[in-house]
Amino acid sequence: MKLLTCPMNGTRPLSEFVFGGEYRQAPDQDTCTDAEWAAYVHNRSGAPGDKKEWWYHSPSGTWFIAERNTLTDKVTRTYLLGQNNTTQEEGK
Amino acid sequence: MQQFDVKSIIQTSPVAHAQPRDSAKWEVINGMDTAVEFASTAIEDARKKVLGVADVSCLSRYGVKGPNATQWLLERGIAIPTTPNSWTICEQKTLVLRLGSSEFLIEDQLGGSACTRLASDATRVASVYKVPRADAAFIVSGSEALNLFSELCSLDLREKSLATKDLIMTQVAGISATVIRQTLNGEPVYRVWCDGTYGPYMWEVLIEIATELGGGAVGLAQYQNS
Repeated sequence: MKLLTCPMNGTRPLSEFVFGGEYRQAPDQDTCTDAEWAAYVHNRSGAPGDKKEWWYHSPSGTWFIAERNTLTDKVTRTYLLGQNNTTQEEGK
Repeated sequence: MQQFDVKSIIQTSPVAHAQPRDSAKWEVINGMDTAVEFASTAIEDARKKVLGVADVSCLSRYGVKGPNATQWLLERGIAIPTTPNSWTICEQKTLVLRLGSSEFLIEDQLGGSACTRLASDATRVASVYKVPRADAAFIVSGSEALNLFSELCSLDLREKSLATKDLIMTQVAGISATVIRQTLNGEPVYRVWCDGTYGPYMWEVLIEIATELGGGAVGLAQYQNS
């Protein structure tokens, strides 16, 4: 069974979670060019590597960030957005 | 045209569609038509000791969340669990469940009045949001309760893993549910809440396994004196 650690609810089976896509910072819509905005809306990086991702723990309704290597599928840490000082190491 | 008074409409338990209409005894409790007896007291007593499942969806609930929800509840005399994902009892008749850090589910047990009091509070406060609740709620009791959950839930719900005041939000029978362990009348029981629309499904799953393990449905009357 694959496991993931929700920062609020602890380690749970992956079946309790929903993947929410890569966490990406939007460019400033007042100052960016149309090309930069279009790239943000339409383009995704498919290259494997360390990514920040949105994950959702569905029984509790908790959205959080997981840092995951998409090549090895190893999650290094999970945390609530804005609270990454209180990170939780995967599997602990 | 016929006029309806909305307040006079009697709700039906969200679980009712999965329960026998003819063989069970029904009563309106808290404005909700609820099965209070499925079999004789002796049979239900025996089921309760092995594996009894009772529908307690009719209990009054009040949901509130937001950054100021804790303060709002404290000002209204509601005791708050100090840590996220835990629960406590307030005024001896009201369960207060802390779901995460800033969301609460308050449930009056039979005879409690906190939910009515909170619902009648019309003052609007910034960063306090009411959460409408439409839960199906169950009490699972008996010596085989853990065997039932081991078939439905991937978490360990034994006493040493699920501490007395711990609350967990997980999947039971594949759907999102909230679970606590509580002592009622000296007997350890599990309380389960899930979305009301899943109520009939949850009831059918619980009853099917309970029957296999020697238990079965228990009416609310078994808990009316608790």
